[in-house]
Amino acid sequence: MSTTTLGTTAKSLVLESLHKRYESRGREPFHAVKGIDLHIEPGELVALLGPSGCGKTTTLRMIAGLETVTSGDIRIGDRSIPDLPPGKRDVGVGFESYALYPPLDVRGNLTYGLRARGVKDADTRVRAIAERLEMTDLLGLRPAGLSSGQKQRVALARALVRNPPVLLLDEPLSHLDAAQRQRVRRELKVLQREFGYTTIVVTHDQLEALSLADRLAVMDAGIIQQFGTADEIFDDPANRFVADFVGEPKINLAEGVVERTGVVRVGRDGALATASRAPAGTAVTVGVRPQDARVAVGEEPSVPGEVVVYEDLLEFGLATVRVEGLDASLVVQTPADVRWRRGDAVRLAAPPQRVYLFEPEGGARLR
Amino acid sequence: MLRERGPEVALARELTPGQKRVTPASVVADLAILAWFVFSLFPLVWMVLLALKNDADQTSTYFRFSPTTANFGTVLSQRGQDLTSVDFGQAMLTSVLNCAGAVLVSLVVGIPAAYAAGRWKFKGSEDLMFQMLSFRFAPELMVIVPLFVIYNTLGVFDTKLGMVWVLQLVTMPLVVWILRSYFQDLSPELEQAALLDGYTRRRAFLTVALPLVRPGIAAAALLAFIFAWNNYLFPLILTDSAATTVTVAVTKYLGGGGQAYYNLTAAAALLGALPPLVLALTIQRYLVRGLSFGAVKA
Repeated sequence: MSTTTLGTTAKSLVLESLHKRYESRGREPFHAVKGIDLHIEPGELVALLGPSGCGKTTTLRMIAGLETVTSGDIRIGDRSIPDLPPGKRDVGVGFESYALYPPLDVRGNLTYGLRARGVKDADTRVRAIAERLEMTDLLGLRPAGLSSGQKQRVALARALVRNPPVLLLDEPLSHLDAAQRQRVRRELKVLQREFGYTTIVVTHDQLEALSLADRLAVMDAGIIQQFGTADEIFDDPANRFVADFVGEPKINLAEGVVERTGVVRVGRDGALATASRAPAGTAVTVGVRPQDARVAVGEEPSVPGEVVVYEDLLEFGLATVRVEGLDASLVVQTPADVRWRRGDAVRLAAPPQRVYLFEPEGGARLR
Repeated sequence: MLRERGPEVALARELTPGQKRVTPASVVADLAILAWFVFSLFPLVWMVLLALKNDADQTSTYFRFSPTTANFGTVLSQRGQDLTSVDFGQAMLTSVLNCAGAVLVSLVVGIPAAYAAGRWKFKGSEDLMFQMLSFRFAPELMVIVPLFVIYNTLGVFDTKLGMVWVLQLVTMPLVVWILRSYFQDLSPELEQAALLDGYTRRRAFLTVALPLVRPGIAAAALLAFIFAWNNYLFPLILTDSAATTVTVAVTKYLGGGGQAYYNLTAAAALLGALPPLVLALTIQRYLVRGLSFGAVKA
């Protein structure tokens, strides 16, 4: 194993009430990051997941030192880094555009950073990382001659060759096609485990986040909406945004009123049992995931409707159900062995702990 | 390079058969282009012919004459100097030094300026850029009188230093505006990667950004040189004999009050056009890209 040259001691990465505010004369100040607290364990891979403009890339750039920190602290291990220049922070960054130096060949790209630091065994290190990433044949090529998958690999190698305890990756898979994406995703995961870097991956793609990350931080509007494992976020969303943003197909959201504690009215004649303790009379937004909706059995509260579209997607089916008194149709994911038909009358229900209630305004979860 | 050109070549081959089709419209268009070429090139042709004429033929308008190359020799010799009191060879050299100096100053100051203006929006950055462009709005005639007074007061009248100083007013805006668009086309992530690799901002600029805009620098420098070379008013008013340039020297053959030597004027003008022409041909490749303002692809 070449871990002697490549190994590193993982360090924790802590963000503490981190703020970024852009102020320029004559323009509205823009509060891009509004107080982020994040404690990432040594060697952990965390995905910052959110829509574009949510502040995830700004957060990443603050950690890298490419944006100034308005207030708050960033610590790697027990070292506070906001006042250090980017090159002294011990972070490796994989840029979305790869940002390989065009005039240098791959070997030059990899040694460039080592030379800046006066590393003595630069060549050995480059060879080791190239061997590990199976790209020794690329060393003599210029970036212009590489495919996007190869560029991504070189960019990753460049970030890794310095052996940083913290690795930041900005949308690492966004320029790859579907087949490459799957392969690189797996590779990334294996490498990260092997090298033990504490890693943040910024992405807007939930599949990427779910597959790579130990824990996910779902961001919106400059705030971390929820931080937890994929299961925690999927099964127990903190608010409507998280429920809506994570999950494919998207969660069904419908207006409703709590009839009595434990039962919520949906549509004209429907009702669903819920684990929420919200009191009777509360107007709510009801969320049920397509994966959780099923055909009601017996006398349990249910929502009657009619199948208007049924899509057979081989592994499972998707039924779109129109419900009297609801603006939006409900989507139900059906098992592969059951075929629904257009026009079928169905009664839908879901496990009570999977029927989420949110405040109609603001979207906070009502537990 | 070759790889990039591949598809274009293929495309041209595909298009060629189509372009061979002659329609009335295409004939008219071709004739119009031909007419335009004749019209725009005629003064040049006339000048070349004039430069080859004897003193006896110089005011004639026929195309039939016995050509001579003696005029070029006259311009560069002592006789030319006697006729005009200007050493034309010396004026050429002065022009080269003046223009090279102005371009050099423009590059040394202008490249960092263009980089800053292309990378950062700071207070007044747009105003500064606009102000720089505005040097080129006003006719030079408007500032020449105060400049004349200032130059006399400061003692830089008729000096090469004074010419470099005033010509960089012409070249600097050009350099800054062309190079700014080059720098803007460059992904800032490249330099950021260098910062993360442990380089300082200055080293990132010098080793990453600068080599990538080399074509832009070449184009901007060349254009600036040509603009400075062709400038007439500044050397006319701000120099006398010591720092006089080609553009001014050429007009001396028209004889202020004395006899006008049209053939010598044309010969001198042709000689004066040579350096920029040679320069332009050498870096033609960059020139086209420079004029298209940017388009650096990583």
